[in-house]
Amino acid sequence: MAQHSWRIPPPAAPQLWRYEARRAGWAAGVAAPAALLVAAAMALLAGNGGAGRRQIGDLLLTGLEALLPLAVAMTAVTLVARDGCRELQLALPTRYAHTLGRRLGVLALAAALSALVYSAGLGLTGWWTGPDPLASPLVWAPPTIWLAALAVLLAVLGRSVVVATSAVAGLWLCEQIFAAMLVGHDWTRPFFLFTTSRVGTGEGWLTNRLVLTLTGLLLVAVVALLLRRPHLLLSEEEE
Amino acid sequence: MSELLAVGRYEFRMQVRKRSLWLATLVLATVIALFQGPRGPRYLPADATAPEVMAGWALLFGIVVPLGFGMVLADRLVRDRRLGTAPLLESLPIRPGLLLAGKYLGGLAATALPALLAMLLAGGYETVHRGDPLMLGWAVLGFAVVMLPGLAFVAGFALTCPLAISAPLFRVLFVGYWFWGNMLTPDFLPSLTGTLVTPIGDYPASWLSGELALFAGVPGWLSFLRPEPGAGSALLSVALLVLLGLLPLLVAHTVLSRRRQHAA
Repeated sequence: MAQHSWRIPPPAAPQLWRYEARRAGWAAGVAAPAALLVAAAMALLAGNGGAGRRQIGDLLLTGLEALLPLAVAMTAVTLVARDGCRELQLALPTRYAHTLGRRLGVLALAAALSALVYSAGLGLTGWWTGPDPLASPLVWAPPTIWLAALAVLLAVLGRSVVVATSAVAGLWLCEQIFAAMLVGHDWTRPFFLFTTSRVGTGEGWLTNRLVLTLTGLLLVAVVALLLRRPHLLLSEEEE
Repeated sequence: MSELLAVGRYEFRMQVRKRSLWLATLVLATVIALFQGPRGPRYLPADATAPEVMAGWALLFGIVVPLGFGMVLADRLVRDRRLGTAPLLESLPIRPGLLLAGKYLGGLAATALPALLAMLLAGGYETVHRGDPLMLGWAVLGFAVVMLPGLAFVAGFALTCPLAISAPLFRVLFVGYWFWGNMLTPDFLPSLTGTLVTPIGDYPASWLSGELALFAGVPGWLSFLRPEPGAGSALLSVALLVLLGLLPLLVAHTVLSRRRQHAA
């Protein structure tokens, strides 16, 4: 008698990505474009209020360099913390770091596409005030990687949405308020998130972008290491 | 009244035990106290008056500490619905309005407690540092006049808005609003900064310290909300913030009541 195999074939990669995109929810796809739309709306408001062309250009750039990373980081915390069946996920042969990576990948893809379309839109309409168009990803990618990686790290370490989002929000706000002080010190300048929109693309800009990217990737590596023990995530306090 | 107090007390006891509430306050208050910069209250001259010093501390904590409270309260009602306890609570012999008001008062009291403690710590530090025992009293007054109305305002919106736009989206918008509506200079962009409805407590802090705290009354958008800082405008600001904080509760109560009637 032929024996039936009860092994379920592993799903194909595109199927897994589709599944994780659905698990990530609408917020993962909407957060980044919504942040950029808010920036565009604020620029429109400033324009109606009599702001100058340079001021509007800076505001549009701020959307890319400040609002986008904030939206991505806050959404990333939710993606890490919100998993109604984490125990089940941990019981599967697929490593949880990969599952979470795919979910965060959906968010990163949506953010990157939105930022590229937004940058192209600003370039085509003559509102781009940032660096050379080829270097435009350096406006948004380094602060986004850095802030999102920090947010995920805090969410994994603290297992609390409140603590992680409060810390990210506090840091973002402090960087905005104390911009002059942070730019004024040699040791804080490379870590300042909003150099393009608050200082410009002059001396030290590229160093700042490289330092942010490298330290951001370091934070990603720490998260990957921590996720080798995913059971640490099992007792988060709330969504 | 006893029902309202009972719900409020229960909510307070539940919220005040949240580890994240204390951790978030500790992180935010410590960071802003350490990195306050040369314009911060720690660097005020030795002959600065107690109200000036403690108004400075209240405003300083008011810059970032309410962010944590917004994050804490954002999932409060949403969580009741997600866990299925909302219908259970609605089945109790208490009017839904009282239930919501009790949750608001209890949540506000619980989130205000760490802020009060932060102010008392700052008051204690200044008492030792400046040798003025009145600092502690002004710390309590500074908390009540500068911080508490802003917290009441934040609590009203943080409790109810996530019901409509979800907790994660509220948290992102809240941070953006906090910067735009409290600290973005009015000459850069039309904003609510420096108006009577600025929850950071700009008007009360300016009144207590006797000089312009941040942007209170600075010319800008909605000029009718930007009177000269003083005792009257500070009182008006406190009243407006408390009333505006109640507005989303009234709207949420009306909408939820209609939904319940529709479902019945």
